[in-house]
Amino acid sequence: MTQKMDEQTPDTEAPLPETHARTNADAPSIDSSRIAEISVGTTKDELAKREKVFHVEDLAVSYSGNVALRNVSLDVYKNTVTAFIGPSGCGKSTFIRCFNRMNDLIIGADVSGTVDYHGNDLYARGVDPVEVRRRIGMVFQKPNPFPKSIYDNVAFGPRALGMKDNLDDRVERCLRRAALWEEVENRLKDSALGLSGGQQQRLCIARALATEPDVILMDEPASALDPIATAAIEDLMHELKRDYTIIVVTHNMQQAARVADMTAFFSVEVHDDGKGRNGILVEYDATTKIFTQPGDKRTEDYVTGRFG
Amino acid sequence: MRLEFKQRLDQLEASLQEQGELCLRAVRGAVTALEAQDAELCDEVIAFDDEIDMRYHRIEKLIEETLALETPVASDLRLVLAVLHASIHLERIGDQSVTIAKLTKLTADLETHHDLVEGLREMGDRCEEMVKVALDSFAERDIERAHGLVELDELVDRTNRRVTDKVLEMGSSPGLQEWGMRMIVVARCIERIGDNAVDIGEQTEYLVTGEFHEFSDASH
Repeated sequence: MTQKMDEQTPDTEAPLPETHARTNADAPSIDSSRIAEISVGTTKDELAKREKVFHVEDLAVSYSGNVALRNVSLDVYKNTVTAFIGPSGCGKSTFIRCFNRMNDLIIGADVSGTVDYHGNDLYARGVDPVEVRRRIGMVFQKPNPFPKSIYDNVAFGPRALGMKDNLDDRVERCLRRAALWEEVENRLKDSALGLSGGQQQRLCIARALATEPDVILMDEPASALDPIATAAIEDLMHELKRDYTIIVVTHNMQQAARVADMTAFFSVEVHDDGKGRNGILVEYDATTKIFTQPGDKRTEDYVTGRFG
Repeated sequence: MRLEFKQRLDQLEASLQEQGELCLRAVRGAVTALEAQDAELCDEVIAFDDEIDMRYHRIEKLIEETLALETPVASDLRLVLAVLHASIHLERIGDQSVTIAKLTKLTADLETHHDLVEGLREMGDRCEEMVKVALDSFAERDIERAHGLVELDELVDRTNRRVTDKVLEMGSSPGLQEWGMRMIVVARCIERIGDNAVDIGEQTEYLVTGEFHEFSDASH
């Protein structure tokens, strides 16, 4: 017998006698390809087949000689959401700022090691930080719209960069992508400060999209928002990762679980003298793995809430 | 809101229905093979169980992920738990079908008794219907229909007792006796399929109301 039961063969000579064909006629057919699509446990290996947007090697950051974060190596893959989680002081915000050279703006900050962006050293001499920040946009914890109209907030970046063609279209497109258009299309000239917190944050995302970035960095993008606005931002992240690569820092572990494909857990390392402390990367893996079978005891303790 | 999560839940329910559809085929195949003494079909039913098990493990994995990543609550949590239970019951139905197929093979050379085969087939048909009702009422969140499973199960149980009585009445030829004893086990397997369908019905009620109770108390 060569025929398999899972093949739909009511019309041909079937190994299962008529009852099979008869009762099957009104039963929904089984499309096994559909079953195969069920996304169970996307692994790190699978995600690692994607293009690397960032390759970080032995990164360390210090502020005025004090090491804040050291020995971090990881890759960020294209069209994924990558979350950084960990307790306060673990260096996750310090780390995310390395991806668009925001640490350059902090006096006394020193970054060593490698951050490659599509194979180019972000910290090489001659790299223009402004161009870096155009390609690698950022959204912050507290929504920070400019005290200007909604329209002008989105148009600000393109205007500054001389991207002035079809500005109206660009503004509309970005507001749509940020799932804000329908709420503001009739009040584009109103001040952005009149929007709710959640709307302001989506406006900041629209503003970040306006300069056509490749990567969006989000530092605690929803921590100042209520649950509904948070859910809107999280839905938006799922939507945006089709076209962008997103890195998010979050205190909210469940948020990382909900939105991220990859999760990096950072922790605090206390020096032997008991005084010094710095952040380290403990574990970096597929989010499913981190939240179902973490490989490191410290990760397990953190995600299960057994701190300290 | 939480579109990704909603998709996950939809996926879960679709997977459960797919697993159910495979189980219906297994039951049908096992009963047909029994009636027709079809050893090849028995082998097929036995091999087919891997497919059902695979679906079960996939659902279990998907649920593990959903619980870990999405922290479902309220009706969402009940759906996840009810799907897990229902999926285990379906997996058992697959196992019962395998046992029926194995016993059919084991008794291939023995003398059979027409009336008894007829009774088993009747039980099989009823149980198949029950699994369908269980799956449909789960999908439709139809508690009333789910409760209807109890009556259907009564009929199966009654036929099961009749089968046992018939075996006891059967002649004393050793071949027929052995066959009869094996068929009592087969009847028991089919009867358990009905019970599993009722169990799925109970999950439907839990899903809708948040209260779980057994539809019929086995200890009475």
